[in-house]
Amino acid sequence: MIDLAMHMMDIVQNAIRAGAGRIGIYFVESNEKTMLLFRVTDDGSGMSEAGLEKVDDPFFTTRTTRRVGLGVPFLKMTCEQAGGFLKVLSAEGRGTTIEAVYRTDHPDCLPLGDIAGYLTLLLKANPAISFRFLYKLDESEFSLDSEALKAEGIALQQAEMLTTVRQYIRENLQALQRDRSAESYLC
Amino acid sequence: MNQMTGIKTLADLKKKQEEVRARINLRDKAENPESLVQVKVAMATCGIASGAKEVMEFFVEELDKRSIDAVVTQTGCMGYCFAEPTVEITLPGREPVVFGYVNPAKADEIIECYIKDGELVDGIIPQNYDTI
Repeated sequence: MIDLAMHMMDIVQNAIRAGAGRIGIYFVESNEKTMLLFRVTDDGSGMSEAGLEKVDDPFFTTRTTRRVGLGVPFLKMTCEQAGGFLKVLSAEGRGTTIEAVYRTDHPDCLPLGDIAGYLTLLLKANPAISFRFLYKLDESEFSLDSEALKAEGIALQQAEMLTTVRQYIRENLQALQRDRSAESYLC
Repeated sequence: MNQMTGIKTLADLKKKQEEVRARINLRDKAENPESLVQVKVAMATCGIASGAKEVMEFFVEELDKRSIDAVVTQTGCMGYCFAEPTVEITLPGREPVVFGYVNPAKADEIIECYIKDGELVDGIIPQNYDTI
């Protein structure tokens, strides 16, 4: 995982596998605290206490196709490398919230990567799931709600619309990031 | 124009036709996924790290450009991490076939040979060979 967008896809894929109907993706960046919070919440199956204890164990997985599960351990690794930490909250039957905090004044803080590209793919490939995306930088924010897009009649089935939506997200994120402090290693 | 007014001109008729056509296409897609080409891109940790996103974007954009009715979705790990990015293609009425080591060039070959003509191409992962 070389950027946060990859982690986003990976962690959201976990939520999809947990049968989530609603998935929230949040990036909250603070110039003053020099921190970035990355959070994914879902209303999927959640994890048992025993499962939760092993969530950062790379040799624990519920799947049967292979015997390792590296998604969460990688996320823990990259945020801890950047002086941050990982927190997972989960209750069986009620869903999971996973939070990774990165220090943006740490040179090992991951770049954001192609968030717009991954997000549009998620929206396109999972029309039955309702996604809420929020990127907040201090007081400014950009949010996107898949239900609101649907209500506006925006159909991602057409590849042309997909490109347009990606462009829309990309431009909004770029506009936000002008407010980022020059000290930040995030890019 | 008021929506309650009827169809008055040829242009109205055409507009209505377009609306209906669009609606039918969308409904058909949603209700009969079996009649479409299904493309599943493995998008777990292993796939993402190997470039599954570029492959998925390629399929989404190119299938549309080449006017092939298909549903492109993402799936979890199929257990072939060594061969990521992997893609499972199901042609209507056929058994699913998994291709490994797919990059945009390979995806192009898969679309042209397998999806369009049903011709097998290199790189198939023999996951569902039936044994007697």
